Amino acid sequence: MFDTALTTNDLIFLAQGAGMTLVVTAISVFFGTILGIIFGVIRYQVGPWWAAPLTFVLDVFRSIPLLIQLVLANAFVTTVLGWRISGFTVACGVLSLYTAAYCAEIVRGGIEAVPATLRRAARSLGMTWGQDMTYVVLPLATRVALPSWIGLALGVMKDSALVYIVQVVELLKSTQILITRLQEPLFLLMICGLFYFLISFPIARLGGYLEKRWSND
Amino acid sequence: MKTSVFAAGLLAVTAMALPAQADKLDDIIASGTLRCAVVLDFPPMGSRDASNNPIGFDVDYCNDLAAALGVTAEIVETTFPERIPALMSGRVDVAVASTSDTLERAKTVGFSIPYYAFENAVVAREGVEMATWEDMKGKVVGATAGTYEAIWLEGKVKEWGEGEFRPYQTQADVFLALSQGQLDATVATVEVSEASGNFPGIKIVDKAPMVPDYVALITLREEYGLINYMNLFINQQVRTGRYAELYKKWVGEGEPANLTIQGVYR
Repeated sequence: MFDTALTTNDLIFLAQGAGMTLVVTAISVFFGTILGIIFGVIRYQVGPWWAAPLTFVLDVFRSIPLLIQLVLANAFVTTVLGWRISGFTVACGVLSLYTAAYCAEIVRGGIEAVPATLRRAARSLGMTWGQDMTYVVLPLATRVALPSWIGLALGVMKDSALVYIVQVVELLKSTQILITRLQEPLFLLMICGLFYFLISFPIARLGGYLEKRWSND
Repeated sequence: MKTSVFAAGLLAVTAMALPAQADKLDDIIASGTLRCAVVLDFPPMGSRDASNNPIGFDVDYCNDLAAALGVTAEIVETTFPERIPALMSGRVDVAVASTSDTLERAKTVGFSIPYYAFENAVVAREGVEMATWEDMKGKVVGATAGTYEAIWLEGKVKEWGEGEFRPYQTQADVFLALSQGQLDATVATVEVSEASGNFPGIKIVDKAPMVPDYVALITLREEYGLINYMNLFINQQVRTGRYAELYKKWVGEGEPANLTIQGVYR
């Protein structure tokens, strides 16, 4: 009835690809979020005029397609700077900055959502700026920003499919390798989609769970 | 005093200018890896085995080159149109990817001497009396419509003024027609002909006297050191019999193509 040349070996090969996708995503989201928080706070704190250069740079990362960023960054690092670093490092670097550019906006939006009156109240109680940020802004802003951040993380996971261009064999690339060998594109793409679903769904559910739990007053 | 300052300044300037950038050959040896672009959907030159590792003539050739340089090889999979961009953007050091040495491409990249040549073979049905390619005269022949070998074959049939030429849609159709007796002979690349073993009752008779498709290794145009090295490497591969060995391993029995051209250098 249904016949396929796909072997267990090939499924393991796909699983390794999925593992690579997860690793690249985890590293990029981790560093991207840290950078994003720093950039977002700076942007909010110094005001639109002084933050203009930073805003411009972040806009560049948001407006240039990721694929082009990866190719250009790789060419710059290997030919202009002459560093022999792996495609994996380049991929993580570019994807982190890309994540940071979006995350900065989410963070800024989260901070702006905290009522100014509340923050003034905190400062008038004698809290320092650091205490205000840690005990008042952080808990409230996190609740506002979380859904967008989960969406960003899932988006980065799917965008990470583009890192094949710098020789990182992640899930989609390993699927393409199998398609070339086995000539069963539809079946293999279905399995690839299933793998993506399997790794995205738990993250989406975790986000939903946290959202629900934190919104209970 | 002033002179010495001047001299020191001059020395500093030359010191900055002189340490001529190490060329690619040095870079490869220093980094310990040779990154080769190989096309992996082009058997028998490049493909993947059951555990998805790259295999093929080009893969082995890259490994040999890396071994000669004393470094490890890294196979970077590329498609045919992506070979040269991968080279230009620094993703690979060389391309071992069956690249035909056209003059148009030589404006962009640097070619070594040919390391392989795709020749065409005459394949005939068993039972048809044929010893050389000229015995095709007067026979019913066919090939895949529109290909280089089909155009050549059709021209030959017209030139002979006897026999018949039949075009087919795909290579598989040609071999099927041949094994079913609708055709007496066909012309196809040696690599394809060797792979036609799953069609019963057909055999390779002779090589067709067409200009072979010479393919060469490529790297950046200005990397003379590396191109020089690759030329010598290709020479050594032929000299030591490794070329014939790889041909036997990946293509089949028989003589590999002659990589020299009568009456001209290089």
